[in-house]
Amino acid sequence: MSTALLDVKNLDRRYGKVHAVRDLSFKMQRGQITGFVGPNGAGKTTTMRIAATLDVPDAGDVEVDGLSVLVEPRKARMRIGYMSDQFHPYPNLDIIQYLDFFARAYGLRGTKRHKTVRSVADFCGLLDFADRPATGLSKGMGQRLHLAKTLLHDPLLLILDEPAAGLDPRARIELRNLLKELAKAGKGILISSHILPELGEMCDSVVVIERGQEIVSGSIADIHKEAELEQQVVARILGDGEALERFLLVQPHVSSVAVDDSRVRFSFVGDDAAMSDLLTRSIASGIQIVEFARAEADLEDLFLRTTKGKLQ
Amino acid sequence: MSAVEAVPPAISNPVLKATFWSRMSDRLNPILVREVQQAVKGRVFPLMIMLALGISVVITLVVASDYVEGGNGRGAFDAGLATLVPLVFFIIPMQAYNSMRTELKGGIVEQLLLSRLSPGAVLSGKLQAAMVQFVLYVSLMSPLLATSYLLRGVDLPTIAISLMFALVMCVAATAFAVSSAAQAIVPALQPIANLGIAFGLGVGTVSMITFVASSGYSRSLGWLMRSDQFGMTVSGIVLLAVISIVMSWLAARTFLLHAFENKSTGFRIFMFSLPPLAYGWMLLFVDSPAWPQVFAGLTFALLLIGTIFGVFMITEQKKLSPRVWAHVPKSAMRARWMVPLLPGRDRGLLCFTLYAALLSLVAVVFWPNPATGFFRSASRQIANMGFMTLTYAMVYLGLGRWVRDRLPDTLQGNHAGRFLLPVLIFLFCVVPLLVDVTTRGHVRSWHIGHIMNPFWTIDEWSRGSNWSQAGFVVLAVLIGVTLLQVPTYLRGFREVRQAVQARRERLEAANQVVSEEPSPLPPAPDANPSN
Repeated sequence: MSTALLDVKNLDRRYGKVHAVRDLSFKMQRGQITGFVGPNGAGKTTTMRIAATLDVPDAGDVEVDGLSVLVEPRKARMRIGYMSDQFHPYPNLDIIQYLDFFARAYGLRGTKRHKTVRSVADFCGLLDFADRPATGLSKGMGQRLHLAKTLLHDPLLLILDEPAAGLDPRARIELRNLLKELAKAGKGILISSHILPELGEMCDSVVVIERGQEIVSGSIADIHKEAELEQQVVARILGDGEALERFLLVQPHVSSVAVDDSRVRFSFVGDDAAMSDLLTRSIASGIQIVEFARAEADLEDLFLRTTKGKLQ
Repeated sequence: MSAVEAVPPAISNPVLKATFWSRMSDRLNPILVREVQQAVKGRVFPLMIMLALGISVVITLVVASDYVEGGNGRGAFDAGLATLVPLVFFIIPMQAYNSMRTELKGGIVEQLLLSRLSPGAVLSGKLQAAMVQFVLYVSLMSPLLATSYLLRGVDLPTIAISLMFALVMCVAATAFAVSSAAQAIVPALQPIANLGIAFGLGVGTVSMITFVASSGYSRSLGWLMRSDQFGMTVSGIVLLAVISIVMSWLAARTFLLHAFENKSTGFRIFMFSLPPLAYGWMLLFVDSPAWPQVFAGLTFALLLIGTIFGVFMITEQKKLSPRVWAHVPKSAMRARWMVPLLPGRDRGLLCFTLYAALLSLVAVVFWPNPATGFFRSASRQIANMGFMTLTYAMVYLGLGRWVRDRLPDTLQGNHAGRFLLPVLIFLFCVVPLLVDVTTRGHVRSWHIGHIMNPFWTIDEWSRGSNWSQAGFVVLAVLIGVTLLQVPTYLRGFREVRQAVQARRERLEAANQVVSEEPSPLPPAPDANPSN
């Protein structure tokens, strides 16, 4: 069995009276993009900082490619690219000088350093702006530079804390494409974000935490399958939706019926056979159904349903 | 496939070719390269150059307008040096301080620490950058210094020694500044750091300017160069500066290291290196007639310095961190020798005890004693004071470790322990005095109630005529206190022994796994920083 790229084991961290992370455990593999989701103050940044060797837990451990971040922080660091939610470039340096400095700091030498700096700048779309001051960049460009710096030492695992925060839609799409390419190249990416639809589109799996505890984890579809006892169904009928509403209100396993002209949205608890039976009976009762489908589950929906938004 | 490989670089060959300068700079510390690049593009450095050049021109014009055959050189030298003082004692250290603060505030330093750069390399880079700036500023002032030489007011050795002093002091001030800035990583220490740096550098610079501009410096240096104490003084100043640089470097490194890294061993080795340095300096540079006094003074000072180190050592975390635990030496024998140098307050007390034993041994063998004939005169009173200081150090450090054990095993607990120990000494000194005042209406003489007041008791007993009796009591207390700490020492050894055992078991388990798996994963890249 191959070693998990990131293995968070029973992590626990307190700051005084605040219990930031409680017995948190999850794993991720190479080439996987994992969304790390939770309300503000849920413990996402704390977990990410511990995984990035920038903080230490009170209990538990994190292994990166089999290396404990507590026992081998220096070796683990060489496998991690950490992009914090803050980016403060050095003044009086241009983009290439900034990347060149970090390449030196990562031990790259001579032609290899030049080649790496320029290929990473090119990959992140920065080569055309090479001589621009690193401090005067737009938010999107700054995030690209931050990501480029994170990629210089070719890390196995990228830990990205709110990389899309403050980006315009185009910059977000570009960032998403960059991350997808990186995942294709075999990198594991742990990413936290508040822009859940974006995250839902790119993530293979998700870990939802609240008040430092894992609420749910796995692929988005699987989580919906497991967690969703109650699924949303949307139907459209010919004529007024009230006929269907009247029918649904007396059916078992149905609740929260909402009518919008000819569209009806309701919650249904049951398996596929039960839903098929419901559809058959509604047609048999003379309702002319045009559309009848399960509303597509998204990450935002999952987030709202699994978390309570409590602060600690 | 790596990220870099994933997207082939669309770069033309000329761009790829590293320039000569770039290849050469590969050997330099990245921080140094970056600081120079920033300085060249920044505003402060060109501004300072213009200012220094302007002042040089003004000084030259003043000297030229008031030219007297053979009489203007000293004034020009003093004025040039006074111009150099704020640049090397204030501007360079403050730039290093600001640079470090900016890196800490913006979280840049975290990004640096994630790279192969060790905290030590980051700090060394800052010091190297300070030295480069120093050379640049001195080269700016060199025409003026050359003029002062040509005007025959000052000789070449004076210029050389002054520049050497300036360089050493500049690096020491920069190390102090960087260390102060690094301490600001703990928010509670930030105001102290700001105040310390502003006060320390400000007062130091103003004093130096006054001293140099009033010709006091050149007169003193001239006198010193003619006297037979020249070697002793210069080497002493350089030694103190080097010690302060190393100390600042170690302190700053502590704040930047990962929480589970070994932060203690460097300090402990440094502490043990002080006696050979101090005694070596005495043997090499101090005239033999002065050895008795210097030896006694140095031994006493080393004991006090060791006690200060001791306060920090006995208020550390109790146990080895997971990282240090996992990296203890594999060899049981080597681990046993390493025990006093490894982190943990139990081992800290052992370390201080060994340091104190070493000093005592040196003192017993070489103390000025008419009987051995090694020294001609005796320093009985300092010996008594040293002996009693050692005893009090053992008493209070033992007590401090006991208090620390009762505090939470957190970083805050360490700080509280370091704060409580001086408070405890203060209370032991003040409370008996207050009791005396309350009950008797006055404090007239020492009595047994003041036994925990080290200052008064040492003063009272060491000067007393019945030392032979008091000395016996002090010796008994010292032996008793040391014996009381034996379980602590053993605990320190035991934990290391367990760590060695655990490491051996892990290695054996890993070897078994490797032998069972025919195609192991490629070995992890060595992440240890090269510099």
